[in-house]
Amino acid sequence: MDGLKINSNINLYYIPMTKLKTTTIGIYIHRELKEDEVSKNAVLPYVLKRGCKLCPDSAKIAEYLENLYGASFGASVLKRGDDQIIYFGFETISDKYAPNGEKLAGSVAKLMMSVIFEPTAFEDDIIGQEKKNAKDRIMAAMNDKRQYATIRCAEEMCAGDRFALRALGTSEGVDAVTADGLKAHYENIITSSAIDIYVCGDADINALSEEIKKYTDKIVFEEANIPKSKLFESKGAVKNVTDHMDVVQGKLCMGFKTGISAGSPDYTALTVMNSVYGAGAHSKLFNNVREKLSLCYYASSNLVKDKGIMFVNAGIEFKNFQKAYDEILAQLETVKNGEISELEFTSSINAVINELESYRDDQHLMQMFCLGQKIAGTNYSIDELKEKTSKVTIEDIKNVAAKTELDTVYFLAGKEEE
Amino acid sequence: MELNYVKSDATGEEMYYGKHSSGLGVYIIPKKDYSKTYAIFGTKYGSVDSKFVVPGEKELTDVPDGIAHYLEHKMFDQPDGSNVFDKFSKYGGNANAFTSFNMTAYLFSATANVEENLETLMDYVQSPYFTEESVQKEQGIIGQEIRMYDDNGNWKLFFNLLNCLYQKQPVKKEIAGTVESISHITADYLYKCYNTFYNLSNMSIVVVGNVDPTGIAKIIENGVKKNEPFDEEIKKVYPEEPKEIAKSYAEQNMSVASPLFMIGFKDTDTGYGGERLLKKWIEINILLRMLFGKSSALYKDLYEKGLINNTFSFEYTMQPSYGYSSVDGESRDPKAVYDAVIAEIEKTREKGLSKETFERIKKVIWGNYIRSLNDVEDYACTFLQMLFMDIDYFNFIDAYNSVTFEDLQKRFDEHFVKERSALSVVNPS
Repeated sequence: MDGLKINSNINLYYIPMTKLKTTTIGIYIHRELKEDEVSKNAVLPYVLKRGCKLCPDSAKIAEYLENLYGASFGASVLKRGDDQIIYFGFETISDKYAPNGEKLAGSVAKLMMSVIFEPTAFEDDIIGQEKKNAKDRIMAAMNDKRQYATIRCAEEMCAGDRFALRALGTSEGVDAVTADGLKAHYENIITSSAIDIYVCGDADINALSEEIKKYTDKIVFEEANIPKSKLFESKGAVKNVTDHMDVVQGKLCMGFKTGISAGSPDYTALTVMNSVYGAGAHSKLFNNVREKLSLCYYASSNLVKDKGIMFVNAGIEFKNFQKAYDEILAQLETVKNGEISELEFTSSINAVINELESYRDDQHLMQMFCLGQKIAGTNYSIDELKEKTSKVTIEDIKNVAAKTELDTVYFLAGKEEE
Repeated sequence: MELNYVKSDATGEEMYYGKHSSGLGVYIIPKKDYSKTYAIFGTKYGSVDSKFVVPGEKELTDVPDGIAHYLEHKMFDQPDGSNVFDKFSKYGGNANAFTSFNMTAYLFSATANVEENLETLMDYVQSPYFTEESVQKEQGIIGQEIRMYDDNGNWKLFFNLLNCLYQKQPVKKEIAGTVESISHITADYLYKCYNTFYNLSNMSIVVVGNVDPTGIAKIIENGVKKNEPFDEEIKKVYPEEPKEIAKSYAEQNMSVASPLFMIGFKDTDTGYGGERLLKKWIEINILLRMLFGKSSALYKDLYEKGLINNTFSFEYTMQPSYGYSSVDGESRDPKAVYDAVIAEIEKTREKGLSKETFERIKKVIWGNYIRSLNDVEDYACTFLQMLFMDIDYFNFIDAYNSVTFEDLQKRFDEHFVKERSALSVVNPS
């Protein structure tokens, strides 16, 4: 989609969605995922959130938002392939629902700009608090065992690659952050990163564009592009890793190389293949590993779009590891052999189309869809992708499945299993 | 079936609703230009309802814990041996179901073939088919679901808190039951529960999306299989819950990164639903934000001391028969957080609530209500949950407008009582 170019680095996109009652703004600052800055990027958004010229501290920001009928403001770091994204999200009820005719979207945008361009919280005590919180978040990754198994599988699978780095950084990296260092880093990245701003809902985008320029015109920018992701390449034999934790259910995560990038013409066929194999109640993993063998409550597959990776997750009894492992691979073989029923095929095509179509009702998903296209270097509309999906054949599914290879098997087992 | 129409000036929302002669409540909320339609077909029957008297019978029926959830799983099996997911999948519908303490619901979302998906929903929820063999088969799957929750620190934290707050209320028991309790579930038990609680006079259906209300109502009407409403109410038997809490503290060791805490306040002003309950919900939500929200003095103090982080949150949970407020998060020192919370309440009791803060926070509640009408799924689910408490969520504004600062002061005194508070902690093992 075409946006309004604020300058060489900043693009502003407007997606009108007036049928919804909210207006959402997302700011995405793209950074190459790399060891020397990953932890600084992980701390930074939380520090920017602590104060700006418009609202000098967290309590003032909260009051400001409360007065806007509880507009929301969140900050976090994301990982899309080898792209580490510093994210700020705002949401307000749209102006036409403001009981007293308040200009809510404009007020939220004002806060957004002050947070991004006029931060004031680079102070030692605040940095200290946010470093502690950043480390809490790194540690807390183990609390969700299913997600943790995927993070660990990715780390092992991509050891030595950028993608092995966690978006949240490392404890050591966070320890090394200082107030002055982070301020300098902020000044550097704000002028040397590709920045995408998406506005969804009901807004006067030209007025917003002019407002943003008031801030950016004073700054000298160094031209930057969105970081490119490297497709995952296998390093040889299948890697087996087991961790032990105080858990009662085993978490199996299997990492596969797909060999297909998000920009590839085969990517649509890959999404349908993933759907046939493990994405949903119509899939082979659900119907065989869960329904037929009663081995688990969940067994599913998902794609890491920009890396050419597919993960399969299942929560199982420790003793059923081999049974589940064998069945997961056996089901992949059936897909590779093209043993796909008419029902599985139609259901999968419909599921992918249904998901694409449903983005239109959700501002956050819509932003993610557009951002995903941009990161992948594609520019498809939802309708174009639906059309492409409807043309995928069983032969196409077979062909993309043929390229899929098991690379890493990760198992989170109990302490007694050691 | 006759459809009534209402429109809200405050939100621009419209609704068509009616009651079918079978007793089924029908609610249709058209959303112009939406891609997605969401339908939810629910029964007022949840995990707390394991003791009841079937209409027409005299004796009490007592079934194993976890049966409402087990029944939900088994509803997906069809008499012809097929799985109902297949039917939805064929039409591109995304189907699911859930069981909570007080309701069980079956649902789908779809961006095409809404009629076919809706027919499927109506059909399968009214087509129970259980055999001893199929019931047996589910033990493994649900066993793993229970296991999954056994490793979830936040889940255990929550149930440990409920076990502090409640002495007898069955809400303190896990929704899915235990591996032991579900081993006693039989096909006969499932049929007994089904025939009682899935009578259409105990059920409602809500459809939200880009739909033609008349057409949708017709499909629902044609989909009714059994028009035999109960003459009398299903008598649900709950033990009498004392006002006092069971205990003030619980802790458990699990594989979590840092200690998790949840503080609860038991609500004893219970026993009613409707607008009065919704009003209470609004009052307590305002109070929670005033006391613990990001603009509060307590939040600032705890955050800056490093006693809480961004995971800190709070909530009020309501039902006609019980209610509680909870405040939760991660902390290196949960007891210090609990003490600070109690101290803040005592301090507020002395110096009083701020009217200015009340006015500001009240706006947040309105914004959140408007926001809740955005997503067809959230909207329909919330609407149905409220409906089962006799609350008209469509007319939220009436309860909202009736809340005054004086009400809030009374509610504060009545709800935030130290003696009815408890602390649950999950420590790293």
